[in-house]
Amino acid sequence: MISLTHYLVLSAILFSLGFYGVLVRRSAILILISVELMLAAVSINFVAFASYVDTDLFSGIIFAIFVITIAAAEVGLALGIVLRTFRERASANVDEASTLKW
Amino acid sequence: MGERVVQNQMSLPVARGRSILTGLVLGSLVAGPYFLVLTALAILGRISGAEFVWWLLAGITIAGAVGAVTSKNVVHAALSLVVASMSIAGIFLLLASEFIALVQILVYGGGVAILLIFGLMMTNASDDPIVMDGSQKPFGFGVALVLGIVLVGAMSGAAWGGALETVAGFREIGTRLYRDYGVPFEVASLVLLVALVGAVTVARRDREEDAE
Repeated sequence: MISLTHYLVLSAILFSLGFYGVLVRRSAILILISVELMLAAVSINFVAFASYVDTDLFSGIIFAIFVITIAAAEVGLALGIVLRTFRERASANVDEASTLKW
Repeated sequence: MGERVVQNQMSLPVARGRSILTGLVLGSLVAGPYFLVLTALAILGRISGAEFVWWLLAGITIAGAVGAVTSKNVVHAALSLVVASMSIAGIFLLLASEFIALVQILVYGGGVAILLIFGLMMTNASDDPIVMDGSQKPFGFGVALVLGIVLVGAMSGAAWGGALETVAGFREIGTRLYRDYGVPFEVASLVLLVALVGAVTVARRDREEDAE
């Protein structure tokens, strides 16, 4: 039988993988991909709780809808910023955007 | 100048072919036995059909996520994210919430993937799709490993919930979304509007830049 724990462990692994990507990647778009993985892990958690625990109100499903909406808005906005940075510096690497660094 | 361009074009397929080859070898070494063991267990009746599908989808999700965060080729990383997203949609189907599965396929497979690949093509990926990771790789690996161990340990020790129960249909989700979450729904639409207008404003070329 597939229990709630299976889904929670899967989403924990996904979240850690996305976290690893955020820490390690240099390209801003690849960091964005890793953030998307972390958000997907969060929505797996929400939907799993909605299906196993909160079966009357299924608030987790509503929250997962909002998470997906915000993820889409975030990707659109972040790509605009990345394109702008790329045009200014001819590079989309985050470690080269260090103007504010003392 | 012309020779350099030709060399660049010559060198790329070699790197690309090598990464595809190592991906194939690694994939068949790990995924082949995994799939065989799963199939054998399912045929022997040790695991049910739903469990077979769950372990298959979980394996594809983890493999896609690993590919998305470790692939040297940015296009492969973006396509691995698509693979992971699609199998997450399958996991939502297993969780008996088909609405979220459809939204996941539409938004991630349709919108986010196209946006990311457009973004890759409009930055340096069209010249050189091979990227190097940052110098903090061992540190990042250690931190992420500790986070993963802590999270998995906490999650596997938890004893929540019973069996998978109801199916939240489209009608119930719509009723609940518009009746109880009306204001957040409108705020979300406002956020989307502001994000899109902001993206256009930020990414737009200024007139002075055009004149240069």
